[in-house]
Amino acid sequence: MKWVTWQDVGIDRIGCAWLIRKHIDPAPEFLFVPEGASKFPPGAEPFDVPGAKLSHHGGHCSFYAILREYKLNDPILNRIAQIIDEADTVQDVNLEDVAPGLDLICRGIRLACGDDHIALERGAMVYDALHAALKDQVQRS
Amino acid sequence: MRNWILLIYKIPNEPSAGRVFAWRKLKKLGAVLLHDAVWVLPSTPQTREHFRWLAAEIVELNGESSVWEARLTAGDEQELINQFSAAVEPAYRQIMAEMKNKNRDLAALSRRYQQVRAQDYFGSELGRQVREAFIAAKGDSK
Repeated sequence: MKWVTWQDVGIDRIGCAWLIRKHIDPAPEFLFVPEGASKFPPGAEPFDVPGAKLSHHGGHCSFYAILREYKLNDPILNRIAQIIDEADTVQDVNLEDVAPGLDLICRGIRLACGDDHIALERGAMVYDALHAALKDQVQRS
Repeated sequence: MRNWILLIYKIPNEPSAGRVFAWRKLKKLGAVLLHDAVWVLPSTPQTREHFRWLAAEIVELNGESSVWEARLTAGDEQELINQFSAAVEPAYRQIMAEMKNKNRDLAALSRRYQQVRAQDYFGSELGRQVREAFIAAKGDSK
């Protein structure tokens, strides 16, 4: 299936792409359109662009919207959604100390590799690592 | 000359929760209210993204909003920058004052510092001093 978003991915879109590949579509094709575009290639599902179904709603990030839309209910994925919420949206309550760090690293991944496709690939490793560490925390507690 | 980003919006008076939601988010971002419902931030990829999402959320709350990139061609840019500094400097000064207290809670103060720094768009000199005071204070406890 085709998925489309704006160029210049960051914490939320890198996370969404990771989530899509892991839990929704094992062979996704990611397309990028210029920032601000509201026309998308036919048949491609837009995500993390204003106005799309899979984007920010009610003060939550797009990762959260995808969890809800595809009824993925997993404590570790919910925790990742909370982290991205805190990094990517304006929140009154901040519970996740990793949020600002992950935001900076994701921004840095995009800057360092200069390409959105590569950024999703490398960023996936960061989310694999985050998931593993959170899972380990849960298992130890 | 700098690039700025403006958010302009209208939101129904009722329910008031929608107005409060938008206002709180703008305050949390450290945006400056230029006129009635015209808020400004220095333009960066992050502030553009925050304003765009907030604009989309205002539309979801049955409001209207638009986000503009702007350069000031008449008016005092330094005065605008001063407004941003004036918004963070009292908080920095208060942290500095509390650090002089013997029974200070450095961990709590440093979290407050991080929150203020997130709104310090122009790298205030006072912010730099507070940071150095924290680093020095950390050394103290050895």
